[in-house]
Amino acid sequence: MKLLKKLPSRVLLFSWLTLVAAGTLGAAEKQPQTVQVSIGTILASNQSDEFDAKLKGMEGQLKVLKYRSYRLLKNESQSVPWRGEKVFEIPGGRTLTVTPQEFRDNQVSVKVRLTQGQKPALDTTVKIPNKRNFILAGPQHEGGILVLSISASAQ
Amino acid sequence: MNECERIEQSLGRWLDGELSAAESEVVRAHVSGCARCGAAQKTFEKLERVIGNVLVAAAPRIEFASFWRDLERRMHDRPPWHKELGERVHAWFAAPRTAWVIPALIVVVLAVFSYDSYFPFWRSRSNLATVESIDAYGRSVAILREDESKTTVIWLYQNQEGDDEAAEETPQPGPAF
Repeated sequence: MKLLKKLPSRVLLFSWLTLVAAGTLGAAEKQPQTVQVSIGTILASNQSDEFDAKLKGMEGQLKVLKYRSYRLLKNESQSVPWRGEKVFEIPGGRTLTVTPQEFRDNQVSVKVRLTQGQKPALDTTVKIPNKRNFILAGPQHEGGILVLSISASAQ
Repeated sequence: MNECERIEQSLGRWLDGELSAAESEVVRAHVSGCARCGAAQKTFEKLERVIGNVLVAAAPRIEFASFWRDLERRMHDRPPWHKELGERVHAWFAAPRTAWVIPALIVVVLAVFSYDSYFPFWRSRSNLATVESIDAYGRSVAILREDESKTTVIWLYQNQEGDDEAAEETPQPGPAF
């Protein structure tokens, strides 16, 4: 009976401890050490109806671009530290420099710079949901355009 | 405190029949053999009789009808809403069930804020990449966001002079979306 009488106060105490613990754990969201950045370079054109089987997982995204043919030219993945730079070689004398900025709310913020030879072509900062991608399209190449799938996975 | 003082303290309760059988027997035995306590008993009994007589004599003159009417009115009259609300709130917070409501609320709050960790497929718009800043160095750009395939596209247009290899390629009309 004594235990039952004390039960409500013990439940209350447990609740507050749970709340404090939850708040503390939430505040201490772990900052991943590195980001796995993957660049898929795809040639999109209207010269054929070929669809590269290796791009099956991206079919829905690529269809948005309305080209007839998609071929994977290159796929490169590198581990990049936070605020560190990694340069990816892109066909046609281009380079793509990726700098992971921060990880917040399960999103990776990355700074991306595309250069054509020595000239910068694009500077952008994009917040990518962790383990997902965005597409950079438009640079012309071999009668079509290059489609760059840039994905980031915080680890 | 001697025996007589202890018995005198119990006299009132003994006369009202509030003592146990054993206690009553102790008091009765003492009172029957002690002149001082016997006198105290008689005083108590006389006092009870006098009070009883007064009450019985005064009872017919008391207006019980108005008393009952007033009591009935107070039973039916509702207290002001703020008083009633205050009493309910007080009763609610004083009840032990509050102890269970608080952890339940905590669970609900944690569930709301972490549901997408358990059900990632429920995420919709948040699965789209967001362009925070963009500089295309004078070129035109278009940004497309498509919900169904969770696609964000930055479309970079080639400039009019063309970039390095553009001159030898078939020019594209631009984004087809």
